[in-house]
This record gives sequence, C-alpha cells and structure tokens, in this order.
Amino acid sequence: MWLVVVFCMILGIVIGFQLPLFIPLVYAKYMSIAILAVLDSVFGGIRAYMENVFDTTIFVTGFITNALLAAGLAYLGDRLGVELYLAAVVAFGVRLFQNLAILRRYLLKKSY
Amino acid sequence: MKFKGAQVSMAAVCLILGIMLAVQFRSNENSPRNLSGDRWTEITVQLENLQRERDFLAEEVLSLREKLENAASNQQGGAVKALNEELAKANMAAGLVAVKGKGVIVTLNDSPRGLQPGEDPNLYIIHDEDLLKVVNELRAAGAEAISINGHRLVASSEIRCAGTTILVNVNKIAPPFVINAIGDPEILESSLRIKGGWLETLQIWGIQAQIQPSDTIEVPAFKGSTKFQYAKPVKSS
Repeated sequence: MWLVVVFCMILGIVIGFQLPLFIPLVYAKYMSIAILAVLDSVFGGIRAYMENVFDTTIFVTGFITNALLAAGLAYLGDRLGVELYLAAVVAFGVRLFQNLAILRRYLLKKSY
Repeated sequence: MKFKGAQVSMAAVCLILGIMLAVQFRSNENSPRNLSGDRWTEITVQLENLQRERDFLAEEVLSLREKLENAASNQQGGAVKALNEELAKANMAAGLVAVKGKGVIVTLNDSPRGLQPGEDPNLYIIHDEDLLKVVNELRAAGAEAISINGHRLVASSEIRCAGTTILVNVNKIAPPFVINAIGDPEILESSLRIKGGWLETLQIWGIQAQIQPSDTIEVPAFKGSTKFQYAKPVKSS
C-alpha cells in the first residue's frame, strides 16, 4: 500500500511538471485548498485501509466532493467577502494531523 | 490484497494529487510574489545604480546643452545671430529652457481621512488620471509651461500609473503633487475651480487640493531625451 501511494505520487508529480498546464494566479488559492482536501482524503484512505474498513466508493466520492466543496467554499467566501477558505484549511488541517496520529499508532503497534 | 479496488483507487487519487501538487508548485513558482530575498536586493541595487546613472546623465545633458549654447553664441555674424534667435524660440517651444513668470501652483495630496474597513483605498488617493485631467484643464486654460514635481511636461511627456507610483517623463513621483503652471493666474485658477470640474470631484473624496496664484513661478527645463529615432521630417518641395 505504501509503495502504491509513494510511487503514484512521484509519478503524478513527474507528469505534472511535464504538463503545459498553468493555474492563473487568481485560481491558485482554490487549487491549494483542493490539494489540501485531496491530501486529507489520501490520509483518510490509508487510515481506513489500516482499520480494515476501506470502501472504494466512499473513498472516491469523498475525494471528489471534498476537493470540490473546499474549492467551492473558498470561491464563495471570496464572493461574499468572508474568508471561508480558512474553515477548509482548519478542518482539513486538524483532520490531517488526527489521521497522521492514528496512522502512527497503528504502525508503532504493528512493529511491536 | 485486503480490498478489491483499494489499490487501484488509491493509486488514481495519488496520481491526481501528484499532478495537482506539481501544477500548483509550478504556477506558484512563476508568480511574481515569490521572488526570493536575494532577487529583491539584487533588483534594488540595480535600481539604485540606474537611478544614479540617470541623474548623472540628466545633469550631463543640461551642461552639454549649455555648452552648445555658449559655443553658438560665441560666433558672431548676422546669419548666425538670426539662427540663434530661431533656435532659442524653438528651444522655448520645445520646453528645453527653464522659464518663469506668473501662474499658479496647484498642490494635490491624498485624502488624510482614515480608511473605514471595507472601503476601497483607491478612492482616496490621487491617480494618474486625476493628474492628467488637471493638467489638461490647465492646458485648455492657456498654461504656457507646466511641471509636475519639478518635471517639465513637454509634447512627449507621459503621466502614467506604474504600480503604486506615477511616472512623469519616466521619473517616479509621489504625493504631494505640486503642479507649477505659467499662464494667467486668474484664468488658470477659475478653470480649475469651475463647478462640476475635476477638482470638485476630487474634493468629494477628500483629496486635498490647493491653488496658489503667484507672480514668480519657475518651471524647469525638460531633462529627457529629444532624439527622434523613427520620425523623419517630410520634405515639402
């Protein structure tokens, strides 16, 4: 599992650097929020995998809706003049750390 | 393998995440915000050097022009004298000599009032457009020579916004803007104070404008280049 994650991430980064694709500066913020959401999904997925409750449908739909909702929230916040993207940053940031902590515990237990 | 499709979906998501990361990274790298500190200092030093060079060259232009005038006036003779007079007139028309006379001093400054939250600061500062309109009004009222913050306005002068500053003759100027205009002080002042004029509009936004008539106003000579690189005179034969 770890190999899959690391390998595909590196492959994606390599592909991304080759792609002639640019995000306009205006949308870079939404993209970064979406990245945070996807990162959270990946960690959540790994955690679910370790807890043996992984569900492909939930994982994929969660990944798509999280990213879209986060970017959409940031966009809406910008229109309204409320810094709504902070909500996404805090929510995903906290969950990232929680998932990471749980993953660490599993890995430590396993190695004993 | 514990779950069907787990590896595949995880791989796909990770691939997308990687692409997003790389694209975002590259886009961010290209944005001007992310100039490194080194680049900042480098550019600042470059700017300082160029400014010093520019000032030096501007002085040189003035001294060379003076020398040229001296050389021309040293030569005697009717034809040369007539030519010199013609040259002096042309120089005057082109704004290459400092002039003085009656006129007005217009001082414009940004609004002193504190900005309320949510307000657009652009409304309370002076823009290149405002200066252009004021200068235009002065010209229409018969101003013969105009300078802004000591930069003479000639036929080729620009007043243009560059980031947070305004450029006049490619020189950065900052508020307060002091516009010296030589002409009939009364006409100049009344043309600016006209009802519904631009000055009135500016004062709505709290921009400070003062018009001071004066008997002796000096307007410096144009310090820039007067070379014509592309334009050639049309022969009238």
